Amino acid sequence: MAVKFGLSLNRILQRALPQVHNCKLLPCLQSRHIHINSLHFKNKEPNELIVSPSMFYVPEGDRNKDTFLEAVKIYTTRPGPRRAQVEFIYAALKEMEEFGVHRDLEAYKDIIDILPKGKYIPTNMFQAEFMHYPKQQQCIIDVLEQMENNGVCPDKETDQMVLNIFGRHGAPTKKLRRMAYWMPKFKNQSPWALPQKIPNSNLEIAKLAVQRMGSVDPATEMNIFQTSELQDAIDDTWIVNGQSANQRDLLAKLKEKQTVYVEGAFTIWLRRTSINYFILRSEPVPLTEEEQKQRNEYDYDDVSELRSWMFGEENLTRKDIVVQPSVHEQEDGTILAIAITGTCSKDSLLSWIRFLEKTNPNLANLSILFATNSPLGEVAPAIESNMPSQPLNKITGGSDL
Amino acid sequence: MHRFIANKLLVPSTCVRGLDFPGVFVPSTSFHEYRKSGYVDKTQKKTSTRESIRDGLKELKQEIKNWTAEVKDGVMMDPIMAMPLPGEVDAQWFFNQNTNFDDWVVTSDSDHNEGHSSCSFGVSQVGKGLFSGNLSTQLVKDGKVKNAGYCNIKSIRPLKSFKRDSFHDWSAYTHLVLRVRGDGRSYMINLGSAGYFDINWNDQFHFALYTRGGPHWQVSKIPFSKFFMTSKGRVQDHQQAVPLNRITSFGITAADKINGPFRLEIDYVGLERDPTHTEISAYEQYKTPYFYAGY
Repeated sequence: MAVKFGLSLNRILQRALPQVHNCKLLPCLQSRHIHINSLHFKNKEPNELIVSPSMFYVPEGDRNKDTFLEAVKIYTTRPGPRRAQVEFIYAALKEMEEFGVHRDLEAYKDIIDILPKGKYIPTNMFQAEFMHYPKQQQCIIDVLEQMENNGVCPDKETDQMVLNIFGRHGAPTKKLRRMAYWMPKFKNQSPWALPQKIPNSNLEIAKLAVQRMGSVDPATEMNIFQTSELQDAIDDTWIVNGQSANQRDLLAKLKEKQTVYVEGAFTIWLRRTSINYFILRSEPVPLTEEEQKQRNEYDYDDVSELRSWMFGEENLTRKDIVVQPSVHEQEDGTILAIAITGTCSKDSLLSWIRFLEKTNPNLANLSILFATNSPLGEVAPAIESNMPSQPLNKITGGSDL
Repeated sequence: MHRFIANKLLVPSTCVRGLDFPGVFVPSTSFHEYRKSGYVDKTQKKTSTRESIRDGLKELKQEIKNWTAEVKDGVMMDPIMAMPLPGEVDAQWFFNQNTNFDDWVVTSDSDHNEGHSSCSFGVSQVGKGLFSGNLSTQLVKDGKVKNAGYCNIKSIRPLKSFKRDSFHDWSAYTHLVLRVRGDGRSYMINLGSAGYFDINWNDQFHFALYTRGGPHWQVSKIPFSKFFMTSKGRVQDHQQAVPLNRITSFGITAADKINGPFRLEIDYVGLERDPTHTEISAYEQYKTPYFYAGY
């Protein structure tokens, strides 16, 4: 019996040899005596190179979804008994980002599908309780964990696949179902909805950003200007402007020679993409001394001062009625307009102000200051004009974001 | 009601939540020796016993004063009969120049060499609280850390006299209200509800704080019923309502796995009662089959 076992083991090792690199098993082959004692096979040092990473060795330019799926296909369709499945799946997990498939459900399904169906399903309660096939279960848990970290929600087919591999008591099945319960709950929870895929074009991103920032005032209108329409613009670019009728009114009310500031660039994030924007801001309207005093000294809990019309007392004096300030009038300044320009250059900002002058004639009477810093936050300075129209808008992450 | 401990172990948890089942056996594998799982502040100097006794005695006078005030309050104060007025926000924390930022614990993964993120919490240019920093998901190459990229602020535990643990009692309120100015990223709000027993030390309730971005301030009003329960960062199968009378900490986390700078200005954190809001927990409370999920 022992001899038979020893021989078959020998054959297994020989067949495994082409893929085995740096493997601790090699000395055993040379010795005449083959041990089956597990102690001899225990790796003293962590050794993950049981599967050759060469399976995913693809020239850098060719790393995409197709080649990734092809690599998995080569592994699964290789003749002979399939071995080192768990190691292969771990190797695949590591390579996913390189191949740009780390947010692709189809790729995950492909590597889960490697494991055999039915084999790992526990057949009695002891197996079910004591983590039947622990390495395989942990491996698929790690796959699901990576899916979760990348925001990939499993679908019904994935559930069926994992169910067929591990059964309803398998830990991966439970994890998958927890994910299927929780992840969709937060998928569309944000009150400022964005498309699942943020577009690639800077102009489209700018439109989304202005729309999102302008959502504070439902009356915000978004316009897109082309600087080529202006005669003395140096840069030829686009400007996305967001301004509401309310903001136009506030701008019209500003007194002559009052300073308004063009500030920026600030950063806004749309999912994994960020873009820079500029604002037009005026100083906040300070409270008069009387108002300040009234606010500080007025005791809101004092009911003895309540006036009732039933006893012939005037309820409110004219002075008490104040128009509620709009959302744009903040304690740190009044926001008059928001813009994103294609080049983020000073010249494009100048063009923005010229465009604004058409709809806000009062702007001609004000002194406009292009500020290099702002109380509202950190500022990336606008670039000097004359520079080539290279977009400053920083795009981080890939195109599939 | 059971809860999952260390992935496998089933522990009856009614005994530790409700404090009303004193004789239940808790397996020793659920034993947590340290409050912070072994993370210690290495900058803290070691003090000798003699020194700590001397320092403790110095504080005795103030603690007795605090205790006297507490006893007096307990005897003389009328119970609060009135509920908070609907539509009024009672501020719990204001952030401005006068805020004592020592009452807030600011942490990031680089503190214990587990990542490269950094953050700070202080006053912004317009005089509000500013939680900002740089988030990085880059791993440290120690072969152990699998995920990186978090920055966190957390309020310190409220204390009674003689440094006894106390709780925030928010049971009269239904909503958490924050006035913030963010950068379009999503943040996480954490309500700590650490219990007496070690198994409940890491109980937290979370909900996302979505920010619009842009120059305008936003007011986020979040019902407590929407908060979901986790332990050590894992969402629990058995959800329950936030124990609003036993809140031990409030915190905000930035960990959206997006590399780059983040910036969240906070004006205040407040509480509001909305009597029309009757929902207790937004998540399903049905029972899963026996021995299937973690309870």
